[in-house]
Amino acid sequence: MKKSKLTKILTISLAAVMAFGLASCGGGNSDSEGTEGGDITVISREEGSGTRDAFVELTGVMQDDVDRTVDTAEISNSTSVVTQSVAGNEAAIGYISMGSLDDSVKALKIGGVEATTDNVKSGDYELQRPFNIVTKGEVAELPQDFINFIMSSDGQAIIEEEGYISVNDTAEKYEAAGLTGSITLAGSTSVSPVMEVLADAYKKLNDGVTIEIQQTGSGAGIQSTIEGVCDIGMASRALEDEEASEGLESQEIALDGIAVIVNNNNTVEDITMEQIMKVFTGEITSWSELQ
Amino acid sequence: MRKYSENIMKAVFLTAACVSIIAVILICVFLFASGVPAIKEIGAADFLFGTAWKPGQDLYGIFPMIIGSVYVTAGAVIVGVPIGLLCAVFMARYCPKGLYRILKPAVDLLAGIPSIVYGFFGLMVIVPMVQDTLGGSGKCLLTSAVLLGIMILPTIISVSESNIRAVPEYYYEGSLALGATRERSIFRAVLPAAKMGILAGIILGIGRAIGETMAVVMVCGNQAIMPQGITMGVRTLTANIVLEMGYASGLHREALIATAVVLFVFILIINLSFTALKRRAD
Repeated sequence: MKKSKLTKILTISLAAVMAFGLASCGGGNSDSEGTEGGDITVISREEGSGTRDAFVELTGVMQDDVDRTVDTAEISNSTSVVTQSVAGNEAAIGYISMGSLDDSVKALKIGGVEATTDNVKSGDYELQRPFNIVTKGEVAELPQDFINFIMSSDGQAIIEEEGYISVNDTAEKYEAAGLTGSITLAGSTSVSPVMEVLADAYKKLNDGVTIEIQQTGSGAGIQSTIEGVCDIGMASRALEDEEASEGLESQEIALDGIAVIVNNNNTVEDITMEQIMKVFTGEITSWSELQ
Repeated sequence: MRKYSENIMKAVFLTAACVSIIAVILICVFLFASGVPAIKEIGAADFLFGTAWKPGQDLYGIFPMIIGSVYVTAGAVIVGVPIGLLCAVFMARYCPKGLYRILKPAVDLLAGIPSIVYGFFGLMVIVPMVQDTLGGSGKCLLTSAVLLGIMILPTIISVSESNIRAVPEYYYEGSLALGATRERSIFRAVLPAAKMGILAGIILGIGRAIGETMAVVMVCGNQAIMPQGITMGVRTLTANIVLEMGYASGLHREALIATAVVLFVFILIINLSFTALKRRAD
């Protein structure tokens, strides 16, 4: 009784499928990663992200212009995926903009300082960066009026409400100039959420204005400003020399803290800048070293 | 008069045909014009076989991503092909009429689900499952392979099913008449006759798997390193492009377009082999 070749192939592939099934049903001998002594899952952002640029520079992961983020770090290309990944993985550590922080994850204290807006403002919380808007050459009347609004006490109040830190405490009240037209903004995905709220408030005060906000990332936003595709670029980092030489002007509109986040079930509460650096460069790989 | 209107319509049809051809040509020209200079600047060997992707340090090696794409696609084939093929056999040969009326639309629906929805499904369901059973972060080669395996099912099922149905009934009946059982007749007489068509379906599935972006980027971990095991993260060519495109500038941006060139060549090879197979099947 010879089994036919095709039957054999089918049997083998069936067996493979079942093995897959078994692997995902049983095989539970490797316990779920506890935070006590388990390996750390490092979650970072993609190369070129404004949040990553600021994070690696502030923590010292970047040394001599070399980004030493460990190779095995998981890479996510948005704040929400980082949050989701950390919320779903007890062994994970990541970083996001403080304004995007919610209850699904826990922000660590850094050197004993809690991640709050007050601590960012006072400078005690070290992990912070500026939000910039960039413009090229002479700014038209309408975009300039919008910038005036952002820098006014009304605009700065909105920035505070959204969880970011205002940069101008002595600003004056904004008065609508009654302009009409449209403004296009492009750039950082970190700056966009607060910019949308600002735009909505501005549109309420100025009826005939439409504002379009494109979330393209800091680099692309600055590029669009150079090319004149958008009126105002948004960047969550300072201008690079190459970009500044194109005649761009940048202006700080807010400060943002970067929160280092872990799973809610994680027992670690506090971390130092040096530990963050070691975790993200792969020198510390186990949670037990952070207890 | 009639000839006149016929000519007009001919011109309309010709323009419509030209639009798609022009689109393809434009994409080709754009890709190669902006990608090839970057490959030259980086060096073809360094670009294709370099194992370090660190745009910050001007290192642009996409070999880990090429291997990543190949592994993930192979995994998807291992998961998707047996299930898809057997499902197609069931639908074409065994399925009762009542069940078919449910099964067929279900398979079609599977094809219509946007890939970002598959991605969320993977992130919320498959990732925690893998995390709980195999440890690690759950974003890995295995997860991507399983997810892509599900995504290529409809392609494989519908192409295979129509090819199995296209086999003349007398193959099956002849085999039965010679004393073979029903199963033997299907697997030994009908399936071999539909072999080429089924293979074409599998290749089409491979094309879908290798080009898939949004779903994969959410579940594969995206580490730009050589894959180190099926529970370790990988980055595919498509993921590499979509991850970094938003922020890239200068040579980094061009290197990403060059990545697209490599992907384009992959797809080209896959489509050519599909056409060749189809010609042989007919």
